[in-house]
Amino acid sequence: MSKRVGVYICSGCSIGESLDLDRLARVAHEECKAPVCRVHPFLCGEEGLATIRKDVADQAVDALVIAACSPRMKTAAFTLDPRMPMDRVNLREHVAWAHPPKDEDSQALAEDYLRMGIVKAEKSEPLEPLANGISRTILVVGGGVAGIHAARAAADAGYDVVLVEKERELGGRLAHVELDFPTRAPYTELEETGLAAEIRKVGAHPKVQVRMLTRVVRTEGQPGAFAVTLESQGKQGTVTVGSIVVATGWRPYDPTRLGHLGYGKSPNVVTSDQFDAMIAAGAPVRPSDGKPAESVLFIQCAGSRDQNHLPYCSAVCCMKTLEQADRIHRRDAATKVYIIYRDIVTPGQSERYYARVQNHPATFLLKGDVAGVRNHGDKMAVEVKNTLLGEHVEVPADVVVLATGFVPNAPGPIETRNPADAPGGASGAQAQGQTGNGEAVAGKPWEPEPESILNLTYRQGPELPICRDGFPGSNFICFPYETLRTGIYTAGAVHAPMDGLTAAEDAAGAAMKAVQCVEMISRGQAVHPRAGDLSYPSFFLQRCTQCKRCTVECPFGAIDEDEKGTPKFNPNRCRRCGVCMGACPERIISFKNYSVDMIAGMIKAIEVPDEDEEKPRVLVFMCENDAYPALDMIGMKRRSYDPSVRVIPLRCLGSLNVVWIADALSRGIDGVMLIGCKYGEDYQCHFAKGSEIASRRLENVKETLQRLQLESERVEVLQLSLDEYAQLPETIDAFVDRVRELGPNPYKGF
Amino acid sequence: MATAQPIEPDVGFLKQVMALGAHDAKKCVQCATCTSVCTLSTAETGFPRKQMLLTQWGQREQLLSDPAPWLCFYCGECSKECLRKANPGETMMALRRYLTSQYDWTGLSRLMYRSAAWELGILGVVATVIVLLFTLPRNFGFGLLSQAGPQALSSVMLNKFAPVETVHLADTTLALLLGFFLLTNAARMFRRLTRDDGIPLGTYIRYLPTLALHLFTQARWKGCAAGDAIKNWVRHLLLASGYMLMFTLVVIFLPWFQVPNDRLHWTSFLGYYATAVLLVGSGWMILDRARKNGEMYRFSHLSDWLFPTLLLLTAATGILVNILRVQDLPMPTYVMYMIHLAIAVPMLVVEVPFGKWAHLLYRPVAIYVEAVRRDALARGA
Repeated sequence: MSKRVGVYICSGCSIGESLDLDRLARVAHEECKAPVCRVHPFLCGEEGLATIRKDVADQAVDALVIAACSPRMKTAAFTLDPRMPMDRVNLREHVAWAHPPKDEDSQALAEDYLRMGIVKAEKSEPLEPLANGISRTILVVGGGVAGIHAARAAADAGYDVVLVEKERELGGRLAHVELDFPTRAPYTELEETGLAAEIRKVGAHPKVQVRMLTRVVRTEGQPGAFAVTLESQGKQGTVTVGSIVVATGWRPYDPTRLGHLGYGKSPNVVTSDQFDAMIAAGAPVRPSDGKPAESVLFIQCAGSRDQNHLPYCSAVCCMKTLEQADRIHRRDAATKVYIIYRDIVTPGQSERYYARVQNHPATFLLKGDVAGVRNHGDKMAVEVKNTLLGEHVEVPADVVVLATGFVPNAPGPIETRNPADAPGGASGAQAQGQTGNGEAVAGKPWEPEPESILNLTYRQGPELPICRDGFPGSNFICFPYETLRTGIYTAGAVHAPMDGLTAAEDAAGAAMKAVQCVEMISRGQAVHPRAGDLSYPSFFLQRCTQCKRCTVECPFGAIDEDEKGTPKFNPNRCRRCGVCMGACPERIISFKNYSVDMIAGMIKAIEVPDEDEEKPRVLVFMCENDAYPALDMIGMKRRSYDPSVRVIPLRCLGSLNVVWIADALSRGIDGVMLIGCKYGEDYQCHFAKGSEIASRRLENVKETLQRLQLESERVEVLQLSLDEYAQLPETIDAFVDRVRELGPNPYKGF
Repeated sequence: MATAQPIEPDVGFLKQVMALGAHDAKKCVQCATCTSVCTLSTAETGFPRKQMLLTQWGQREQLLSDPAPWLCFYCGECSKECLRKANPGETMMALRRYLTSQYDWTGLSRLMYRSAAWELGILGVVATVIVLLFTLPRNFGFGLLSQAGPQALSSVMLNKFAPVETVHLADTTLALLLGFFLLTNAARMFRRLTRDDGIPLGTYIRYLPTLALHLFTQARWKGCAAGDAIKNWVRHLLLASGYMLMFTLVVIFLPWFQVPNDRLHWTSFLGYYATAVLLVGSGWMILDRARKNGEMYRFSHLSDWLFPTLLLLTAATGILVNILRVQDLPMPTYVMYMIHLAIAVPMLVVEVPFGKWAHLLYRPVAIYVEAVRRDALARGA
């Protein structure tokens, strides 16, 4: 044994009453030859911790095994030295609280966990954080509301900021909007945006360098050291930045796809944007003949919340329509304004504005489904179904306004996903031509998708991966601001549909993430979600076969390839999930405290009962983010499950190397369960794709089982979200029962 | 595919109803909390939610043929629970005001509901006519006061001053005339509600008892959601009984009711009962309204004030006439009698066929039509 492992067993929290700790200590001492093994009644208390600290100071031990509560508890107390090899053996939640006291099976479970913990500590090496000389400058791409506020927030926190804007001026879409939604009590009147003052402030900020008429043409490197090539009026230059906030905003959904809502049938059908331009110039008119419009009909959710178009709510269109109705009535209170909606979304205090605008005698709201829009003399007629005024009604109006939705201003597949919806021969091109018919509505046409925002030189592609609905990002609830590219954060409407005020707040959050990123990376720490982790993978490239699995599977694009096709690891892009380690068929990727060999050693440490004992052994690999804490909760609830399971937590199920399954089965373990996070569009995997990748890898395992002439039912993978924790005991027991029915693993005893 | 029904809001109508009390109707977001808390609303009628939307969209024609506004007794629970403070209870009240003005074919009601000046003006004109009838010298007309003769001034001789035959003839004529207006207005409402409904006459005949029941008992009020529904119903029933009793005494039994001097006829006791109930009932309602005691009194239109106030004054002056008469004060009795009539007659003229009083008939007619409709629907299904 190369390491001096100190084993510290806590007898508090009913562990002592439940288990025979003398026998447990003998396992450490006699069987595992740990030089130090102490039992303490209150290990996390000052006295208990002092005992451990003394052994460390005396150099009696250089690796620790804390056999006490779950590793998710008392983390600060037991992190005596973040660099020292250490394992936490979960005697409390996984043994004492979940299984009967003074019971042979419970004791066997505790002894196995201790053996596994000692192996883990022995096979861990002290961590050495990456030394990083890094840039702390923050790049903000896009000078709209979000970009301005992100730049301000980062600069006010003391960081240098480069703010890049492709246009001639800052302000984005709200640059020329004088009045915007209410933000102050009584929330019933439109307000000045105050954007001009914000633009002046950011322009004058000593920490902010504003680059107008500039685009990003290339982004190389990694967090802490991004080399970003900027192009301005034909001239190129490079800046080095630590992290990036993308705030490129939104563009309206292409209305030529909305033929079913009448777009293209008549110039009297316009988009919200075009209508804005019209009423900025004066009272609304009928574009076909320029006559004043006596009635304006708004169709809400034009393209939004529609599986054929934008599956999401665009969040702002309801307020936008109310604002336009308000403006119409400021000019002429007699103009009839119809609003056909499915639901009105005016969150928070905006509800007051909604009530105020709605209470105008000439505002008419109707909930229903638009069934069609047709020409009706010199007016339009809008058919509405399922309304409370009647099953099938028709409302005539001079102008129809389509409240078109938000599309992120980023390269993405959202509009190419569906063919243009243009019945009645109104092709997109024709519709586009017709909008130019009336000068008043010429406005700006919808915009094409940008070709590139960052143009990353990553092996996995030049842009931010799309999370869902075309928005680059991450699970919005669990990981706001994060993207699948470490050190690059999205803010504002490119992130999710939102109004100016929300974008400003969103931007402040993203700026703080960018600041946090440069700070943690400067200390060699991982960022979210393994924030603070000092470990990182190393590649034993001499044995690499250039199979590219690691470069393809890394959820964060951390691994590029050099000219020869050999993996080129960018440690600062890495989130330490270990997906590469699970992917590698040559097992050449390891962390100092997490490796294929270490887990294999832990599996080997499990005592497998003989066939005649008729006790199965089931190995459960659990994602330490959702499944493992779920099992902790089962312990806290004092619920029980079959004691023949042995749980090994994994950083992510995606770090599962299939060799472990073969190892386990060939050792006579009767079944293997893999429990990971939910994947798919509403994924909960902390590493976005890990559990999905693990499920795919398992397909290959079936072949291995056949080769070993074992039933494929002995291995099972399933998804669990934390809120489903209560079903975990039944799930485990059912699997163990199925394994019992299959009979003992024939490899037992070999 | 069935053709779509064209919808065009009548903004003029909407503005009128808003002015009559539906100030907040546009704020309704159709959440249906009102309909859920209403214990009188049914799946078929769906009020007040449905009427809120019809009002918002200025659907005048639909509302004119809708009995629902009259099915509401305004307990106010809906307004209390309304999340949007859209006051559905008051919207239903405003609709009743509007419908009252519309079912009247003479147009007088419309004028009076639209303008306080017209309403007070007409009351004033009728009151003046009554006063003139008494005070003008005989040569210019009735001159009732001068007709009484000298001995009537030494002792109260009401039948001399206002001969019971003359008064009886006058009040019967008035009753017939007002009854005519009221019934024709109610008939207009009935036609509007039942137009083209294709329900056989037999059903309408079978349900006539329902009409009578609700006319005399207002029984449905008991089912209101508010905790004090029973109290309000009893109070209203007593008031209505006093009103009907007094009306009957004056129109049919006047020869016995207005007996000379201090002889008591059995009708007198009924008269005292009616007076007491009218005084207490209307006074109580006025107090509640003044204190805004309860949802239904939170908003008050002029018509809501006038009816109970005139009723109170009529009862008060009536009993004063009696007191003065018993005290044998001839001149004060005659003057009080004149004042009594100058209040009672305009009240009847304005309120019975053209004002709030008309709900006496409109409400049971609506309940009746709704019962018939429900029956027809059940048979159809």
